[in-house]
Order: sequence, then C-alpha cells, then structure tokens
Amino acid sequence: MEEAKERTGTGKKRVMVAIEEHECSHYALEWTLLNLKPTISSPLLLITVQPFSPFTYVAAASYSSPPQELIQSMQEHQKQAALALLEKAKEICAKHGVDVETITEMGEPKEVICQVAEQRNIELLVMGSHARGAVERFFLGSVSNYCVHHAKCPVLVVKQDSGKKN
Amino acid sequence: MEEVTATVVMEGAVVGPEVAEATTAEKKGFKVVVAVDDSENSHYALSWAIDNILANRREDCQLVVLHVQHFVETTFMYPVAGHAVYAPTLSMDAVRKAHEENSKRVISRAVDICKSKHVDALTAVAEGDPKDAICEAAEKLHADLLVVGSRGLGMIKRAFLGSVSDYLAHHAKCPVLIVKPPKGSHK
Repeated sequence: MEEAKERTGTGKKRVMVAIEEHECSHYALEWTLLNLKPTISSPLLLITVQPFSPFTYVAAASYSSPPQELIQSMQEHQKQAALALLEKAKEICAKHGVDVETITEMGEPKEVICQVAEQRNIELLVMGSHARGAVERFFLGSVSNYCVHHAKCPVLVVKQDSGKKN
Repeated sequence: MEEVTATVVMEGAVVGPEVAEATTAEKKGFKVVVAVDDSENSHYALSWAIDNILANRREDCQLVVLHVQHFVETTFMYPVAGHAVYAPTLSMDAVRKAHEENSKRVISRAVDICKSKHVDALTAVAEGDPKDAICEAAEKLHADLLVVGSRGLGMIKRAFLGSVSDYLAHHAKCPVLIVKPPKGSHK
C-alpha cells in the first residue's frame, strides 16, 4: 500500500470506481478503462458497499421482528450479490489488462465511498449514474449526487445513455 | 462525423466560428469540453483536465474551452414609481459589450493556460442560462467528456453552490467530470 502522501507524478492518478448493483457502474468502469486508461495508476480500486438498510423493510413487512434465519439468508444473499458484482468488474478490468484492488465495506454507500476515497487519498472517483427521474432521486437519494457534493477529490459521473454512439 | 456549422444557434446559444473548423477533424478522436468562467476553480479544472487527460492521449484528444455568458436582459425592472421600464438600447449595448469583454478575458486566460501546456484548444461561447447552455453546447459539440469546476460557475456564486455542476452531472448526455479545488484551499 502506497504512502498516502506520495504523489503519483506524471499525470497518473489513483482512481477508484464505485461498483453498485446497477448496470450503470459496470458501464462507468468500461468507459473509464476505454477512455482514461493512461491516466489510471496501478492498481485501480474498486469499491462496493453493502447497505445495512434493507432489514428495515423486512421488519415492516413481517409486522414484528423478522425471524433470524430470514435476516441471515438476506445477508448471505447480499454478500453473494456483492461478490458477483466485484467478480464481473474484475473480469472487465482483466480484459483491459488493468490491475485491480477490491474493497468491500458495509454501511451507507454514499458516506462510505467518500470516507474511503479520503482515507486512501483517491485522486479521481468514478461513478455510474442511475439516470432515475427527479422524483425518484429525491426520495431514494442518489449516491452519485451525494459524492459529487461531498467527495474531496474530482468526481467523474458516467451516465449510461441508451442512445449513445460508440 | 461531427458537423457543427458556424451558424449554429440554439435558443440563445451561439457557437463560435473557430469550432466549425475543428470538427472536420480527420480522426474520430476524444473530445473534451471544459466549461470555464471567471473563477479560479474552473481554471484549476482546466489545468487538471489537461494534465491528467490530454497529457496521456495527446494524439487523438481534442480540447474545447467553453464559456457561457449570461443573457442580456431586455427589460429591467426599475423601482421607479412601481413601473417596469424598458432599458434604453444604449445601456443594453453597454451591458452586452461588457459581457463580451468579460467573455474574451475569460477565454483568453483559458487559452493562455492551454498554450502554456502546449495544448491546442478550440473555443466556444454560448449565451444563456449556464446549466442549459453547457448541456446543449456539449451535445452540439458531441463532447465525449465534459469537465467543470465545482463552484463559482455563474455570477451568483454563493447562491448556486455548485448546483450547475450538479445539474450537469444528471442531465448532460456525456460523462461529466467535476473537479474540486485542491485540498489546500478552503471555501
């Protein structure tokens, strides 16, 4: 692990890509590898954050505290899903010949991503954008929105545009 | 291939003639549009973009510096006996001229930065509400990447608090890179 203070000179930056459960983050990763590969200093960091929150829905749905097994199986399922996403992301990076380091955390995705970006002295944060409507974004929140405002480093938001040429 | 004619006018936005020449570029390169204004942040964003993106892909990367002027209002509300007064044409021209001077200054400063880093940049000027104008310009220019500074894009800096970059992150058709001021500075 490099010293936090070390500057990667020649225009190569420490880049972190946030992987979420949507296709858009894989698209963002591909885009970055295609277009910004020379800028990325090895290794590329991939972070995925598992939220705590789904369990509140489960509690509400079962009208009482949900059975232990249900919670456990949900956690397992989530972990599997997160690992699968990371695997896919690693494959994409391998295809482009880029070294990768993966980080898995639990917690509130937007906050954790910003925290880790600061801890690891990231110089460029890449995220997909959900392309949700304004109303959805208001109620469900947006990780990319939060990070744009709170991250200390430059943030690249890659939108998955269905009509995009390339 | 890209086609932007010199007479592109899009609801109040005008793309400068210099851009038209460039779009007859041979290769389908990577086009980076950097939106600048008077603020330090946008100049930092421009430097960052050049240092980190263009430096590594000099062969096929094309840089366009975009500046958005605010609309010149055609009516002014003067609190004179509660009547709205149409601005006399003379003062309108003066305002328009001041805006143009400002644009020229901003653009020339940006071009200086580019020159000092040995990068050829094209320039474009659009008029109107920054958020929309930048989005439209990026689309018309077929930008592959849009770069903006984080705050101060627009005259009423405090009020906007970076909402322009936020708007762009969500509405621009192409990827948007928002460059924050370096850690040392406080805002």
